[in-house]
Amino acid sequence: MIKVANSEELEQLLNRLSQDYKIAAPVVKRKGRKERIEYEYIDSPGEITLERQPDSSPKKFFLPQNERMEVEVAGAPGTEDKQKTILFGVRSCDLEALKVLDDVFLDDNYIDAYYQQHRENIIIIGLSCSEGKPSCFCGTLGIDPVKNDSAPIFLYQRGDRYYFKVYDEEYAYLLEDLPEGDEGELAEIVEERAASFAENNFTLDLPVPLPEETTFSAPFWGDLAEKCLGCGVCTYYCPTCYCFGFFWEQGEKSRCWDSCMFASFTKHASGHNPRRSQDQRYRQRVMHKYSYHPENYGRLACTGCGRCLDNCPVNLDIRSVLKTVESYLQEKGGVKSG
Amino acid sequence: MAETFLPHKAEILKITQETGSNLNIKTFRVRFVDEEVMKSFSFLPGQFMETTVFGVGEAPFGFASSPTEKDFFEFSVKETGLVTEALHNLKEGDLIGIRGPYGNGFPVEKARGKNIVFIGGGIGLAPLRSLINYVLDEQNRGEFGRVQMLHAFRSPEDTLYNYDYSFWEGAPNTTVKYTIDNPAEGWEHLVGFPHTLLASELECELPGTKFFTCGPPIMIKFVTEELRKMGIAPADIITTLEMKMSCGLGKCGRCNIGHKYICKDGPVFTLEELDQMPDEF
Repeated sequence: MIKVANSEELEQLLNRLSQDYKIAAPVVKRKGRKERIEYEYIDSPGEITLERQPDSSPKKFFLPQNERMEVEVAGAPGTEDKQKTILFGVRSCDLEALKVLDDVFLDDNYIDAYYQQHRENIIIIGLSCSEGKPSCFCGTLGIDPVKNDSAPIFLYQRGDRYYFKVYDEEYAYLLEDLPEGDEGELAEIVEERAASFAENNFTLDLPVPLPEETTFSAPFWGDLAEKCLGCGVCTYYCPTCYCFGFFWEQGEKSRCWDSCMFASFTKHASGHNPRRSQDQRYRQRVMHKYSYHPENYGRLACTGCGRCLDNCPVNLDIRSVLKTVESYLQEKGGVKSG
Repeated sequence: MAETFLPHKAEILKITQETGSNLNIKTFRVRFVDEEVMKSFSFLPGQFMETTVFGVGEAPFGFASSPTEKDFFEFSVKETGLVTEALHNLKEGDLIGIRGPYGNGFPVEKARGKNIVFIGGGIGLAPLRSLINYVLDEQNRGEFGRVQMLHAFRSPEDTLYNYDYSFWEGAPNTTVKYTIDNPAEGWEHLVGFPHTLLASELECELPGTKFFTCGPPIMIKFVTEELRKMGIAPADIITTLEMKMSCGLGKCGRCNIGHKYICKDGPVFTLEELDQMPDEF
């Protein structure tokens, strides 16, 4: 089913939805002289911008940067957020990243009750990309920036026209006010955009998962990661990085994001550290995304969103790292994945 | 029980000072405050728990008592960092938080009917003690073959579980040997690092015997390599690793070696399995 709106109707729709739901969407935020686009809860639809990929991913809605676990003793559930949230304008890279978080936190062996609660509480409306930024490489990893059926509703914007593709009829009621649209018009947009993304000059020929032992023991990690400062900014911006730690504040247990880029992440109280140098830690990050997670869950833990290279203070570019891995494995010849 | 990141309250029943002046190791005997939790609680030797000192933090410790003890369980703590220091400052009767058990545990079933050798080093003896006391338990002793132990300590001051020794030494078909790093006055046992003593001190038929070892990472590396040199099959050499396990469920990301998570896929591994893993521990 397709529903269509112009910007006035979209505004009316969001105003109506905001009576029953909290709405989070990309908004412009000014931090000093810097203008950024971040996902935030909004007060009015006028704040929303769909102009480009938001600077941060929306992972904080599912795995908050800091989350109080309420009480230290088992038996008490976390805070129950009664009012549901509509998360508006999530692009393919971030939708696919959510699958990686689902792999880990909704694993059959253990379901993370906190994550599950956020996940069930949030209705996602996806967004088709009209153009990529220079650092984007989702297409190289097999992700389609134009269309994605993993959100129940997926939005295409062209000028003043908004096309909602409803993938899950259960959520069609959200758009009941809007008139139905023409499949043909939408197909045209998809085709147009697919053509504009087709020209992809970054290609990779990597076995996935990367062969663990061969890639781990490759000689290039020291050189590749030499300039890495270990600031961890890549892991904070990454939509799939989910490593966390617990901390205590006045007797209350909380969970916060942690980062494999930090020496303290793996350092034992005794002083022993299995990943004592920065190149070991950088290797862990790349291997986790391209070898360990695919090995355990059958999915790459990178969606090519490009944020790690947009934000790295020393321009450590994961694409060139992957190119180095590619040529090393080709040199080694015939190395099978796994 | 392993359903949550939040612990259950447990009472410290007894604190035993294990070592002399050199190292500060204490053994904590605890039981859950909630009787229902205690009743439904069970673990395997080689598994571990996450222990909370309220308001301070949480740290992983292996079970040091045998699961045949139903009224309590024990873990040993060397004072090293923030959480261990806070634990050492607690008194009997104080409440702590415990969640678990986590990890795979020792392959007890595969050791049934077999000879067993235990090689412990320092506080690495703690997880082995859980299995030793399980195997030597009257109910279970008949199900295992000859048991030999070689336990290494830095000095006579650093021995632990001294109160178990007469039970171990008196168990049927069991030999216990002790060694320290350097000669010391009054020490009547062996001297030297354990890997240098394996060839001369082990008396049992080696093929088919299961070797369990735990100690500092460097000791584990030397002992397992020495056993390999002696012709022991890597599948029969079993050790348990320690990493900074935090969530205990393979989520938080700090304890992996390659794609294996020590908290979930381990902490117990055979040398055969370790051979398949990157060298990062």
